[in-house]
Amino acid sequence: MTTIAIENPDTHSGISNAKLGVWLFLASEVMLFATLFTTYIVLRMGSATWPWGWDALNVPLGTLNTVILISSSVTIVMAYARAHAKDLGGFRLWMMTTILLSFAFLVVKGFEYYGEFSKGIWPSTSVFYATYFTMTGLHGIHILCGIVVNVGLLIMSFNKESWEHPLFLGRVEGAGLYWHFVDVVWIFLFPALYLL
Amino acid sequence: MSQESHGHGHHELSFWERYVFSVDHKVIGLQYLITSFLFLLFGFGLMMLMRWQLAFPGQPIPFFGHLFSPELAPNGVMSGEFYNSLGAMHGTIMVFLGVVPLGVGAYGNYLLPLQIGAPDMAFPRMNMMSYWLYLPGGILMLSSFLMPGGAAQSGWTSYPPLSIINPGQTVWLLSMVILITSSLLGSINFLVTSINMRAPGMTLGRLPAFCWAQIVTAVLLLLAFPPLEAASVLQLMDRVFHTSFYMPAGLVILGKTYAGSGGGQPLLWQHLFWFLAHPEVYVLVLPPMGIVSEIIANNTRKPLHGYKTLVGSMVAIGIMSFLVWAHHMFLSGMSPVLGNFFLVTTMIISVPSVAILTCLIFSLKGGSIRYNVPMLFALAFLPLFGIGGLTGLPLGLTVTDIYLHDTYYVIGHFHFVVVTGSIIALMGGVYYWFPKWYGRKMNDTLGLIHFWGSVVSMFGIFFPMLIMGLAGASRRLYDPTAQLHNLIVQPLNVVSTCFAYSLALFQLPFIYNFFHSMWAGEKTEENPWQATTLEWACPSPPPHGNFVKTPRVYRGPYEYTPHGRKADFWPQHEAN
Amino acid sequence: MAKHNAAHAHDVVHADHERPNVKLYLGIFAALMVLTGLTVFVSKFHLPRPQAIALGLLIACTKASLVGAVFMHLWGEKKMIHRFLYTAGFFGILMLIPITDFVLTDHQHIDHANVAAEHPDEGHEVESAGPSTINLEAKPAEAPKAEAAKPAKKAKAKAKGK
Repeated sequence: MTTIAIENPDTHSGISNAKLGVWLFLASEVMLFATLFTTYIVLRMGSATWPWGWDALNVPLGTLNTVILISSSVTIVMAYARAHAKDLGGFRLWMMTTILLSFAFLVVKGFEYYGEFSKGIWPSTSVFYATYFTMTGLHGIHILCGIVVNVGLLIMSFNKESWEHPLFLGRVEGAGLYWHFVDVVWIFLFPALYLL
Repeated sequence: MSQESHGHGHHELSFWERYVFSVDHKVIGLQYLITSFLFLLFGFGLMMLMRWQLAFPGQPIPFFGHLFSPELAPNGVMSGEFYNSLGAMHGTIMVFLGVVPLGVGAYGNYLLPLQIGAPDMAFPRMNMMSYWLYLPGGILMLSSFLMPGGAAQSGWTSYPPLSIINPGQTVWLLSMVILITSSLLGSINFLVTSINMRAPGMTLGRLPAFCWAQIVTAVLLLLAFPPLEAASVLQLMDRVFHTSFYMPAGLVILGKTYAGSGGGQPLLWQHLFWFLAHPEVYVLVLPPMGIVSEIIANNTRKPLHGYKTLVGSMVAIGIMSFLVWAHHMFLSGMSPVLGNFFLVTTMIISVPSVAILTCLIFSLKGGSIRYNVPMLFALAFLPLFGIGGLTGLPLGLTVTDIYLHDTYYVIGHFHFVVVTGSIIALMGGVYYWFPKWYGRKMNDTLGLIHFWGSVVSMFGIFFPMLIMGLAGASRRLYDPTAQLHNLIVQPLNVVSTCFAYSLALFQLPFIYNFFHSMWAGEKTEENPWQATTLEWACPSPPPHGNFVKTPRVYRGPYEYTPHGRKADFWPQHEAN
Repeated sequence: MAKHNAAHAHDVVHADHERPNVKLYLGIFAALMVLTGLTVFVSKFHLPRPQAIALGLLIACTKASLVGAVFMHLWGEKKMIHRFLYTAGFFGILMLIPITDFVLTDHQHIDHANVAAEHPDEGHEVESAGPSTINLEAKPAEAPKAEAAKPAKKAKAKAKGK
């Protein structure tokens, strides 16, 4: 089936439609988060008082979330490895772990937000908190969408026809690419908001 | 991705699957076509109301005046807020709900897979989702007229702080987010389709100019829209959650201090908005340029002049379009050093634009020109878009822009490029491809009436605006006579208004022609224009899957009057 | 049905997927954990801002590169994907241009004393260090004049301020 691509290098890129589609989508997401980071830089530069992350946010919880998210990146790539080896049980185990870790991330985030709200800190409190809540909130929505996709793949693996479909591995890879991207965004977001 | 659609070959599609939630790019393309024309008509209606107020300020609107509520139009006289909302919504609807969905969603969707020899788009279901985000998003946008306080009235540019405190903007922002999502899904689809689904032999160098225009447009939409989506979310946060992304400290409104934390930057919005909105104008103009290229090549019976230059210029425009945005902000108070940077880049981007126009004009030289209705539209595009482009130069030069910014000169400039440019081309495209869409031809006499009436009216509306702008008439002014220096050019407002109403009248033959020909037009065969590109190599209209057998491409897209052959055209897919 | 096979055939299937290297993944995981610990540890010292940002950015870029190259299979991926990313990266960097605007100009500061001196005849609702005022109730006839005056004032103040 790769033969089509090899026969026609002039009219086909050699990359599957799905993978190409996911990377193009990620390119647009790069622009989205670049805008948010630009906003962060502009507002921070123009602000007389921008708090040090350690003073304003819960750094231990943020660090925990970083560890959770990076771990989930590893587990999803392990899920991909098991799917590549056609190991159904292994795939389900690693994908389930990924989903649980993602929920854990959101739960920790929920604790953080709750802590802030109960101290009377809201997005309208200051530009710092506006930026913090908006950027982590949008990131959280991206995590949620990733969970939906991953759960979808997990459910599909219970359907014999879907699991054995030749495009299934590509779908797992695509979901993984999106998930790693969300992880990369957090890798930049965490120090920017919490540590600097 | 689409392989769960095994069912299509096996069971009969229901009415909903076939006509409403269709995943066939042709059906989706026609859905976009009709919907965008309806939105164009609506936006046009808004403008007709505005033009009455501009020509006869303070006079009750005839016929419709009493239909509006007393807040909008007391005693039938348009209020300032209503005028502002008409202006903001006219711009938004025409750009985001009209021209772009028409050029990209309608023409791109229908013709791109056909011209590259593909059976459909790469992601048919995502294609369907794009349309079904566009329509609700558009309806939501229009619903802002029903919001308390009225529709969005802070300009299509939605500048804070005004847009944060003005009514109607929240719905505007929400629908922008939905529309942007629709567009992003579409651009991913177009790019994957163009890269991976070309028929054997269809190398990039053999792609019709129309396809190249769609590819560059898709890249622009993919990369330029997300910043506006993010910026809109931030503005939504400011409005709904009272954050201060764009609200500076110490703002006093109507004597009261604004209750926000402050620390925001209004100019940040301007940068982020124009970062999209400038590439957006090339999105408005590139597909029409592609359409004009196709029509001209076909009706001169010779290859386009300078295909490589044409395509290269389109790509260059795409890249440069990201580097010129702040020429909309010369007077915003931003740094003059940046102003110089953007002045230089703006001058540079005019070069590929002129190159494209030059290639198209030179394509006429030595051609056997057939003056059919589509060709008339394509020919009209050339000088009129030229005027539009040339009037942009004083705006791109900072020194002259100091005088011309926010005057009617700007309005004249961009309407020349978009209306007498893009819309003329988009209308011409309807006459050209209608036989492919419906298997019937449109009526030529009605087409001629539509053409001449429209071109003359359009010129009559917008040329006076250039003069008014040079006289210093401000834009977005509800009562033009409020500025004393406008009084001398106020008669030009009346001229524009008369031509606006005549433009409306001359669309009636077009609308009638379109729908009447769908049912009762003269039937045509596969290739009534004797064209070379692949979309003419399948039945009219094409069946599901487009081509009975995957075509194989042997040559470039414009082999007209080839040497040593009897016929004056050599289609791309014919072996010999 | 033939048409759908054609659609199938256009899509490249997983025959070209690389064999996953589990040992490498675990190694990268360990590296990422170490780098995370490092970045948190270093931040506690509350270095001066430029150094803190440079160091934080460096560590973050390293972590992101590891995730991208190994987990996202970018190392060894077809060139086209790299080109997409370079393009997106290029345009993302373009966003720095708005930042330079804010570096070069101070948008919050208007020297009101200067403005008052330049326009002695115009009414002053604004004190020298006061907030910026928007008076929405100005009549339409006045509004354009006030609007036209504002950019001129700002430009003048800037020129003076420099």
